[in-house]
Formats: sequence, structure tokens, C-alpha cells
Amino acid sequence: MTATTPSTATPFVRKDNASQRRLADAVATGLLWTAALGIVLLLAVFIGYLLYLGAHVISWHFLTAPPSEISAGGGIGPEIFNSFYILVLTLIFTVPVATAAGIYLQEYARPGLFNSTVQFCAESLATIPSIVMGLFGLIVFVQVLHWHFTALGGALALTLLNLPALMRVTQEGLASVPQALREGSMALGATKWQTIRRVVLPGSIAPLTTGIILIAGRIIGETAVLIYTAGVSVSPGRSAFNWNPFHPAETLSVHLWYTHSEGLVPDAVDIGNGSALVLLLIVLVFNISARILGRGLSRHFTGK
Amino acid sequence: MLSTEPVTTPVRATKLEVKDLNVFYGEFQAIKDASMDVPENRVTALIGPSGCGKSTFIRALNRMHDLSPGVTVKGHVRLDGQDIYGKDVDPVTIRHRIGMVFQRPNPFPKTIYENVVYGPKIHGLSDRRKLAEVCERGLRRAALWDEVKDRLNESALDLSGGQQQRLCIARVLAVEPEVILMDEPASALDPIATSKIEDLIGELKRDYTVVIVTHSMQQAARISDFTSFFLLGDLIEIGTTSEVFTKPKDKRTEDYITGRYG
Amino acid sequence: MVGPVIATHSSRAHVQESIARGVLLAASAFVILAMAAIVVYLASEGLRLFFVDHISPLAFLGSAAFEPDSRSPGALAFIVGSLAVTFFAIVMGGPLGIAVGIFLSQLAPPRLGSIMKPAIEILVGIPSVVYGWLGLTLLAPLIRLHLGSQTGFGLLTAGIVLSIMILPTVISLSEDALKSVPVTIKEASMALGATRWQTIFHVLLPAARSGLTVALILGIARAIGEALAVQMVIGNSAVIPQGLLNPAATLTTEIVTDMGSAQQGSVLQHSLFSMAFLLLLIAMALITLVRWALKRSAL
Repeated sequence: MTATTPSTATPFVRKDNASQRRLADAVATGLLWTAALGIVLLLAVFIGYLLYLGAHVISWHFLTAPPSEISAGGGIGPEIFNSFYILVLTLIFTVPVATAAGIYLQEYARPGLFNSTVQFCAESLATIPSIVMGLFGLIVFVQVLHWHFTALGGALALTLLNLPALMRVTQEGLASVPQALREGSMALGATKWQTIRRVVLPGSIAPLTTGIILIAGRIIGETAVLIYTAGVSVSPGRSAFNWNPFHPAETLSVHLWYTHSEGLVPDAVDIGNGSALVLLLIVLVFNISARILGRGLSRHFTGK
Repeated sequence: MLSTEPVTTPVRATKLEVKDLNVFYGEFQAIKDASMDVPENRVTALIGPSGCGKSTFIRALNRMHDLSPGVTVKGHVRLDGQDIYGKDVDPVTIRHRIGMVFQRPNPFPKTIYENVVYGPKIHGLSDRRKLAEVCERGLRRAALWDEVKDRLNESALDLSGGQQQRLCIARVLAVEPEVILMDEPASALDPIATSKIEDLIGELKRDYTVVIVTHSMQQAARISDFTSFFLLGDLIEIGTTSEVFTKPKDKRTEDYITGRYG
Repeated sequence: MVGPVIATHSSRAHVQESIARGVLLAASAFVILAMAAIVVYLASEGLRLFFVDHISPLAFLGSAAFEPDSRSPGALAFIVGSLAVTFFAIVMGGPLGIAVGIFLSQLAPPRLGSIMKPAIEILVGIPSVVYGWLGLTLLAPLIRLHLGSQTGFGLLTAGIVLSIMILPTVISLSEDALKSVPVTIKEASMALGATRWQTIFHVLLPAARSGLTVALILGIARAIGEALAVQMVIGNSAVIPQGLLNPAATLTTEIVTDMGSAQQGSVLQHSLFSMAFLLLLIAMALITLVRWALKRSAL
């Protein structure tokens, strides 16, 4: 039981600036909380506002119809199709190259000139402004190769832009696999590649999948790089839904920009509102599915 | 439990009085109903096999557990009679009076000088001449002054491990605490550095109350006046060091002293 | 003796090993190749202005008269515009981002942290055109209404939009930097009687200095390279801006605005490529700065 505290006890606060420090601490804590909650609030406001602007625009017709050049009532069907089409093309190029490079850097490369050059180039690629990468695509695919504006050109430019992020995801995923697993496999006489393919890669499948989906969510919103590579138009009428990689392929995000800045349609504001909302919803779907899938996979592969 | 009664004839006034202390990591109880008196100006050693709770116990003495979410502390620790876990007690002011030296040297990535004057500075001392005095006094008392007096503006991370640990002690001394808690301060050091730290602890008890966790019974025997033995979260026995080591009251203490535990 | 079965098996494994190694190496080398190609192509197009059109670099970098048709492609207004919006973005977004990074690494209760992480990930994923659209429909009207700007478009609007866009970068990098400071140092400070804020301010922030520098540099890189969101709200006027509320243009917005109508081989087109090349050099310079900051911290 507590004995009564002697009244003569030394007070805890000696000659000190304690009250002042406590105040500073409380103020700082309050500011940090405000900043953090501010971010969450900001996101909530964004989502709410885009819903408010765009919800009434979205209809089956809007989501599926081809866009209109001059009159009102155009849809964004081909643009949605192109966004996903270019995304898939980009992933087809990006995933193999980025995982391979990531595996090399993480598992094989020793510190040295080659390694640091690759790192420097990857970091530079990741930092190149999207529009600058777009101009590189314009030079190579449009001016040198004479492809004109194509889905393929857009996808290749996007590939260069997103390689580094996926390489990093790969490296982090591989790094998360415990060293003991590698040693266990090598000790059984497996070669390094066998170990990577049968032990390390399966062990990092969950973070890899999550990372790829999150990056896919970013690729689908890329715009500046596509304006001068994939173009700002779609083929007219039914042929707008076009699987030919050598056709111009305006994506939804490009459409949002183009309608605002160069479009002639009278309902440009509605189309912008609807497109912005659809883009946001796509990003949300990608983020949520990345989380769900990542959690499911890691449960599956780590045995609950 | 009989054996946890405080030492019968305290030589000095009780500086810290621990009463019914319990520490939980979530559901797991790491310290069970520990009570002991820590006498002023003496060295009290906490010994026991690893995982026995001695580090958990010492971290409860200046409310370091407050920093870890999920750790709950129940019971009383009285500093000069006043409960540091009482209502409206600011742990920050507690730690000003009860300093701590950690297992591994943890100097700030700053200069030697900045490390020592850090405490006085945050407590409001800003006069440059006074800070320099505090720095020299702290380093002298930590027996480090002669080795570093010409390189006070070099990074503390360039010092050897033993010097870093003495710097950490100097850093604690500079805020003029009343109690110094040491959590295995020599466990990461070589024998020579260890013996320097041990000599230093012998010096410190003239001005301070020292509580030290050690995994080495020889170290406890060499430097401490009182020894308490922990096992699986229980404080088994406390007494003068010579009593505990030569005629332990509890069978479990005897088993440990004679080497029958790991 | 090793049995023959095992011997052939392992020799096949070794062939596979060298093939795999070669393919992986080639993929890494591709990164170097890609970067080299980008530098070479952008340089060859971006330097035409000086070597084909014989316009002096000084006339490009030092003049604000952007009249490519009369052989005066002065880009100074765009350079100033880029620097100005980037400056506002980092001045507003930098401290806020670091504050949230501090919150996430030191203060956030786990439950709140697990809400904020996905929220920040979504902020990263929101396309720049959507940020531009929000700036256009939400921020610009507010600025028009409350600050007396005529259009609502200008440096301030662009700077605010950018400051929000760089937040995720600054937040997650500064959170990482602060988390990598050993917890023992934090304990040492608390054990000396420092408050949490004193510990953050006097120990954690200095210890994480180089990581925080990197966070800010990459925030700058993101801001200076952003094109469309800025283009939608800055007003696109090729003059050196005289005030926060005045319309302006940046290197990126100018490329977006005029590339579509630039004749191949014209001075206008060449000057736009020169701007792209300049942006590439800036990006590479910032990455070199990042590597320097990290190396300095490793010492």
C-alpha cells in the first residue's frame, strides 16, 4: 500500500526550464498531429470533391461511347480501353526487364563501377521528367522510326520511365527473404540461379505482386509522356477499340488534359469532371486490390 | 516473500524505494511484485541469468518504459519518498534526476563537446563559458578528459568503444543527476575498457547513487555494495554483496552463484 | 567418387547458371543503354539550336524574349518560372512533408499509421492531370475569390498544387530517414531528461540530416519536372512573372504548350528540345547531389 508522501520531499522540478519545455513539447505535438490529420483530410476532400463534381456525369453511355470531337455527349470508352491496353503493353516490357535487372543487382552484382553506373542510370531514369521522356519517345519512335503516334511507342516510353521503380520493388522484395533460406538451398548443392528461382523468388512473391500493382496504378495515370508518343486522338467510330499497337491511342488521363486545354466540345467541363472521377476510382481500385492481394499472398506463401 | 524484505540495516538513507513493482509486455509479465530499497551513495548490482528481468526492472526506475507502447508498469518507485509513477508526474523531469547509461555506447552523431553539453543545453543552460566548464567537469569525472581534451570538436563516433561509453557516462554526469542507472555498461567492451569503467563506478558512488545491471557475478562482487538476484521476473533476494555471495538465504541464489544456472 | 548422374545434372545446372547470369546482366546493362540513348538523342536534338541554328547559349539562357520565329528563343522566363514554382513547392511542401514524416516515424499510434500509409500511397497514385483538374476547379476559384486575382491562375496556384504533389515523396523519404536513426540514440536523449520534441529537434533531425536532404532534393526534382498539373493552373504566359498572382510559364509547361504545333526543324522545335535537354541535365545534377549527400553521410 502506498505510504503517505513526506511533505518535505524534494520537488521533482529543480532549477529547470521544465514548464517551458513541456509547453514547447505540447505545441510541437499539436502541430505534428495537425499536419498528419491535415493530409488525411486533404485526401478526403479530394475524393469527396471529385465525387461531387463527377458522379452525375458517369453513365454506361459515358463509360463506353467513343468521344465526340465537336458536339456534346461524347464518351470515354476508347480512352479507358487504351489506358488499360497501354498499361498491359508497358507491364509486358517492364516486368521481365525490371525483375531481371533487380535480381542481378540484388543477388549477383558486387560493388564496383558497373553496379554504381547501373544505380546512377536507374536513379536518373526515375528522375527524368515525364514530359522529357515523352520528347525522347517523340524523337525515337515518331521522328527516327516513323511510327507516328502509337500505343507501342507510348508503352515503350512508359517502360523506361517505370523500370527503376519496379527494379527497386524487386530488390526490396528479394532483400526481405531471409539469408538463411538462401544458405539452406545452397548448402544442398543448388546453384545460385536454382536458389533464386525456387527459393528466393517464391519467397518474395507477395511484396513483388503488391509493388507491381501499385506501380501499375501509377502507370495508368501517366500523362505527359504519352502526349507526344501515343498521341491525343483515337481512331474514329467502332475502330476506336483497337488492338493494333501501331495505332494512335489516347488514354483517359491524356483525354482529360486534352479536352480541357485543346478540346472544342461544349461539355468539356463535364467530360473533365467525369474523367477525373473515373481516374481516381481506377487508382483507388488498384491500391485496394494491391493491399488485399498482397495480404492474401503473403498469408498463402508464409503459411498463415 | 520473506527474502524480498529490504536490507535490514541500511547504512544510508534510502534513495529509491521500489514497492510492488510489476511490468507487463502486453500479456506477458516480466517483473512480478518486486520490492527493494536502493541506498544512497552506494552501488547496487542487479544480477541474474539472461531473460530474468533485470534490464526490464532497471528501465522501470526512470520510466523508460513509457517510450515503448505495449509496456505497462504497475506499482511504486519512490525517489526521496515521492512516487515517480504518481499522477501528474512528468517523466521528463524524473529522467533529469535519474540518469541512465545503456548496454551499448550510444553517443549522438555529434562532436564530443556537443554530446556532453547536450543535457545542460536542453535544460536551459546557454552560457558558453558555463557549458565549457560543465563539459570539462563531466569529462574529468568520467576519467576521459585527458584523452579527449584536444579533440573536443571531433565526432564522438571516432572514439573507441570504451571511450564512447565513458563519454556517455560524462554526458549523464553533466546533467547532475542524483541516481545513475547502468544497464550492463561494460558488456560491449574489452577487458581493459571494462576495468576503467569499473574504477569509475567506484569513484561515482561518492556523489551519486548507482544501480547497475550486470551479467558478470565477478563484476558485481568487485564493484557493488548491495546485490539483488532476479530469476524469471522474481526478485529472489537482496542483501549486502558479501552476504549474497557468501551466505545466500535462498537456495536459488546459491545455485546461481555456484554456477548451477546458465 | 561422384556418381555420373549427379555429375551431368550439375553440369547442366552450371550451364543454366551462366545463361541466367548472362540474361540478368543484360537486363542491368539495358538500364545503362537506355539512359545513354536518352542523353545522346536529347543532346543531339537539344544542341541543334546552338550548332545548326547558330544561336548563342547566352541568348537562350539569358534572354526572356521568347520569339523563336525571329530567331530569339530566350528561355529565361521559363527558367525563372520553373525555379519559382519549385521554390514555392518546396517551401510549402517540404516542412509539411517532413512534419508528417516525423509524425509517422515517432508519434503515430499504429492504428492511425496503418490508415495514413495507404492514404499517402493513394496521393502518389493520383494522376498529375487530376491534381491539375483539382487545381483548376477547386483552388483557382478560391484564389480568384479571396486574393483578388483576375483568373486565379498563376505562380501561387501552381506552387500550391505542386507542394501537394511532392508531399508523398517528402513524407515517405523523411519517414524512412528518421526511422533509420538507431532507437538507442533516442533513448539516450530521453534518459537525459529531454522532452520528445527536444529529442526530435536536437537529436533525430540532425542525425537524419542527409536522408532529409535527399527527401527534399527528390521533392525538388519532382516539382521541377511536373508538366501538366502546372500547365493547367499557371496561366501560361511567357513573361518573367512580376508577382505571386501573375500568370507565368515554366520549361515543362512551355514544351507541353508549343510542341504540338512546332514545325520539325524549326527554331521553335529546337528550342523546345533544348529546354528538354536542360531539364534532363537538371535531373541528372539533382541525382548527383543525392548521391553526394548519401556518400557524405556514410563517412
